[in-house]
Amino acid sequence: MDFERVEARGLVKMYGPTRALSGVDLDLESGRVTVVEGPNGSGKSTLMALLSLLSRPTRGTLRFGPHDAESHPEALRRHIGVLSHASMLYPDLTGIEGLRFTARLHGVPAADATLAQLRARFDIGAFGDRPTRTYSRGQLQRVAIARALVHRPRLLLLDEPSTGLDAASVDRLVAAVREEKARGAIVALVTHDAALSSCLADATVTLARGRVVTPSGTEVRA
Amino acid sequence: MNVIEAALLIAGKDLRIEARTREVTVSTGLFAVLVVILTSLAFYVDDATARLIAPGVLWIAIAFSGVLAIGRAWAREREHDAMRGLLLAPAPRASIFLGKSIGTLAFLGVVEAALVPLVAMLFHVDLGPALPLLVPVLGLGTLGFVLTGTLFGAMTVQTRSRDLMLSVVLFPLVSPALLAGVVATREILGGGPLDEILAWMRILGAFDLVVGACGWFLFGPLVRD
Repeated sequence: MDFERVEARGLVKMYGPTRALSGVDLDLESGRVTVVEGPNGSGKSTLMALLSLLSRPTRGTLRFGPHDAESHPEALRRHIGVLSHASMLYPDLTGIEGLRFTARLHGVPAADATLAQLRARFDIGAFGDRPTRTYSRGQLQRVAIARALVHRPRLLLLDEPSTGLDAASVDRLVAAVREEKARGAIVALVTHDAALSSCLADATVTLARGRVVTPSGTEVRA
Repeated sequence: MNVIEAALLIAGKDLRIEARTREVTVSTGLFAVLVVILTSLAFYVDDATARLIAPGVLWIAIAFSGVLAIGRAWAREREHDAMRGLLLAPAPRASIFLGKSIGTLAFLGVVEAALVPLVAMLFHVDLGPALPLLVPVLGLGTLGFVLTGTLFGAMTVQTRSRDLMLSVVLFPLVSPALLAGVVATREILGGGPLDEILAWMRILGAFDLVVGACGWFLFGPLVRD
């Protein structure tokens, strides 16, 4: 159930009487990084929750290529990877155990070979065999990036991934995103980090009060 | 990945963490032992009266330590937003419910394995003849308690005052299992008629089926937003 683009039309999300999104249209395409900007409370995290299929829109449609999100959420989740400022790793498991758990949960064939590749790619050395509660922020982020990519997702959602990272870790993140983009991944990035945005964005979408205030897919000038 | 495979994977993850930290079994086990010892000191009575009190003490200890175990089991999913990682997986939502239930059931099973002999010793209960019926009653009662607690424990992962919420929601809902468990245990220890004991076990089994079915179908919608 692969797909080359993600298409959102008229997405509305209500939390009780509160309208978090008010008719958002969005197009995400393979091999492009779309940066979603906006002030706090503009609906960025809600949009990411809808795109990751953790939440359902109150109204509107979300399509992953020819597939409707409502019809095949479990199958589509196999192709979605999420990286946020929280690692989603268990503090009492080692980094490698956490990656293996995620790989098996996503049905990754030959998980051990995949883990060996990720270990080399993200320079997860001996620390990968220690519980993640002992990691530095940078080490945790390296394993978290590997976790988000362990199943080679087509859609990669990055929600404030650079929060609390030093310059070297941000560089590693940028390199990983560029590699995924070159592989043909669809990347959506939510960030307040202007430097990260400027070096990765192929297109920018700005949200304000749950609405898109720049057209979807506005090209970024170099 | 089907529901059972994913559930066993999630339960295995919880058991691996527990084998490493012993956080849930030690904290809930000590709490349950404390309840039993304090009760045995408070009710310093003759053997016959002690045997009448024993079922209540046993189930009170199970109920209180069970709430603690369920809360701790879900607390692990709160750290580093690990619950979100589970929800992002392409596994059926029911597998999370089932996997967390299996893990918590194993934790409480370990606690009960220590608790039952302790209650028998302090309240002068002859455990030998009671065990063949006591084990399935404890199993069915604990299963119902864990299924209910796991279902509503998931709701409290993102809630402030989560421990209070869990207790307030859980105890009224699980009261049929607790009542049936206490009465069945009383009849077993008191040498009651087999028919009556089996009737209480059927009630426990029916409760487990209803709660299990509710969890299977409701867990997904409960954790969606």
